[in-house]
Amino acid sequence: MGRIRLENITKNFGGLQVLKGINLEIEEGELVVFVGPSGCGKSTLLRQISGLDKPSSGAILINDRDVTEVSAADRGLAMVFQSYALYPHMTVKLNLAFGLQNAKMPKAEIETRIADAARMLEITPLLSRRPGQLSGGQRQRVAIGRAIVRDPTAFLLDEPLSNLDAELRVSMRAELGALHARLGATMIYVTHDQVEAMTLADRIVVLRGGQIEQVAAPIDLFERPANRFVAGFIGAPSMNFLTPEEAASLNGTPPAGAALIGVRPQHLEPADSGLTLTVTLVEALGTETVIHGEIAGGKRLLLTLPGHRPVQVGGQLTVNADPARLHFFDAQDQRIG
Amino acid sequence: MNPIRFLFRRKGGKGWHWTDLVTWVWLGTGLLIMFGPALWLVLSSFKSPTQLAEFPPTILPYVSQTAEVGINGEVKELPLYTAVTEDGQVRTLAEVRRIGTVAQMVDPDAPDTVYKVNINDRRPVRQVGFEIENYLKPLQAFNFGLYLRNSVFVTTVATLITLLTNSMAAFALSKYEFRGRNGVMLLIVATLMIPLSVNLVPLYSVVSKLGLLNSLWGVILPTVATPTGVFLLRQYMLTIPDELIEAARMDKASEWQIYWRIVLPLTAPALAVLAIFSVVWRWNDFLWPLIVLSRKELFTLQVGLNTFAGELNVQWHFILAMTVATMIPVVVVFVFLQRFITAGIAGTGLK
Repeated sequence: MGRIRLENITKNFGGLQVLKGINLEIEEGELVVFVGPSGCGKSTLLRQISGLDKPSSGAILINDRDVTEVSAADRGLAMVFQSYALYPHMTVKLNLAFGLQNAKMPKAEIETRIADAARMLEITPLLSRRPGQLSGGQRQRVAIGRAIVRDPTAFLLDEPLSNLDAELRVSMRAELGALHARLGATMIYVTHDQVEAMTLADRIVVLRGGQIEQVAAPIDLFERPANRFVAGFIGAPSMNFLTPEEAASLNGTPPAGAALIGVRPQHLEPADSGLTLTVTLVEALGTETVIHGEIAGGKRLLLTLPGHRPVQVGGQLTVNADPARLHFFDAQDQRIG
Repeated sequence: MNPIRFLFRRKGGKGWHWTDLVTWVWLGTGLLIMFGPALWLVLSSFKSPTQLAEFPPTILPYVSQTAEVGINGEVKELPLYTAVTEDGQVRTLAEVRRIGTVAQMVDPDAPDTVYKVNINDRRPVRQVGFEIENYLKPLQAFNFGLYLRNSVFVTTVATLITLLTNSMAAFALSKYEFRGRNGVMLLIVATLMIPLSVNLVPLYSVVSKLGLLNSLWGVILPTVATPTGVFLLRQYMLTIPDELIEAARMDKASEWQIYWRIVLPLTAPALAVLAIFSVVWRWNDFLWPLIVLSRKELFTLQVGLNTFAGELNVQWHFILAMTVATMIPVVVVFVFLQRFITAGIAGTGLK
């Protein structure tokens, strides 16, 4: 099993610095999710760990061994690619066997491993087919199977679910979670989908512009975002941000130095006193109702209420929040309290 | 579908639109220009030497009719003519001998009466027939079997080496990032602009110094590195996703295994195109083998054909027949693999 440590990793492409000094420790058996907007460097970071790319500076340690200069093949990691990257001219069985053959493993052992992995992923009937004859979900399983048979130190998954349709994505997500629990292997998972991040991760690494913004367990990230970016990025719909003047009518008093007050749409509810907003749009989703509105001064505000609420567009609504649910940020966008 | 209706299909409407006519004439002329010479060649290859020299030429090959005529107790095989005799009657007569412009002719059924006919008043009796000798004689009497073996050897070996070396170069140029990659590619493609006749002399001295003159390897080796092939394969390999190669790298594949087990099988369609091109090029190659090979037992078919054209006498009937014979493999390649060829031409803009 694998413990991975990143020490001050930087990566430059020409004059552009894509990774700006990443320090991270990943524990054995942990499922860590790299999340962030596109271009934040999360896939680049994964490639540095995999060995397919070399960092411009810094060190990568796997189980306390410095592998910065070690080739991808010899790091003992397995990767699942976004496009699956199955070898189209080989059968599923050969796809699974290829890595093991290259490692000069005895034939009998290869057979057992493939049989075990195929049973675990329920792809045994597909072993003699080629990738072109498989559906998206089946290809996904084969790609994961190819990683599993290698029995790697750690799994690297690069947006593995992004090519699947919504329904399949939900079920594969659950399967991946179950697989992690079963294998107990270290996994690094890259995604831009925060639902995947929240549901799968032991810890989430939020990246922006080649830097780590926050590393925390999913709920901590939601409850106590370290800065304005994380607060806005995690949670859907995203957090409302108000100036102290705009938030004056809300319950509670901002601490000294608070330049920005954040409140999640889920934490606003109708009240007798508080912020008054003019409803501009109502999205009834059945399980919840998303209400878009404008407060005095023209700032837009979002709130979600459970169930179906008969709210009229153009009508007035007064909302307020539990003071404990408010987030305060200073002038540098950092969290206060 | 009814072939007549197929040929006269129109774009619609009641009558012939002028575009229908233009299309028909255009395609018809094209067909004539493309297939006319080939048809001419095939039909002419069945003609006898006299018939080839005839003017005006005929399209179909003919064989003159003869008859066995007994003259003075001797049975002779004589050519038959349709002649107009002095009394103005048209008869079928056999020619016994010819003196100047007058032919002495007899009726095969009554050989005792001799008619004197001006040679302008008679026409040979003949019917469509094929001179198979044109084919059989070179194959039996000359070394065509040997030439064929040499040609097959040169074509096969050169094609295999071409595929191997060109695909390796293309792999390096498409899947590795290195300084000067585009420069190297440009240099390779630029050699397309140098015709063989320019580097014939230096190439000859290289081959000569290597002791490859009068060896089939001297024909094979200078031709195997083709810029067209490298370009064609590289363009195709660029379409193979890099993730596949990265996946193989994660799977502990060596660079050779990536080339041999991943890239090469996936390049199969482009390899097929190059193989076809290479077969056609090597099979039809004439100038280079002619320069390298001077011993008769090493000749390839195309050079062998040249031996029928002597300084004083050109044996057209053999040349034509053997040209048809040497065309057959290429035609077969085209018939069965034309799908790949069009794809290849579309893919590279070359032919």
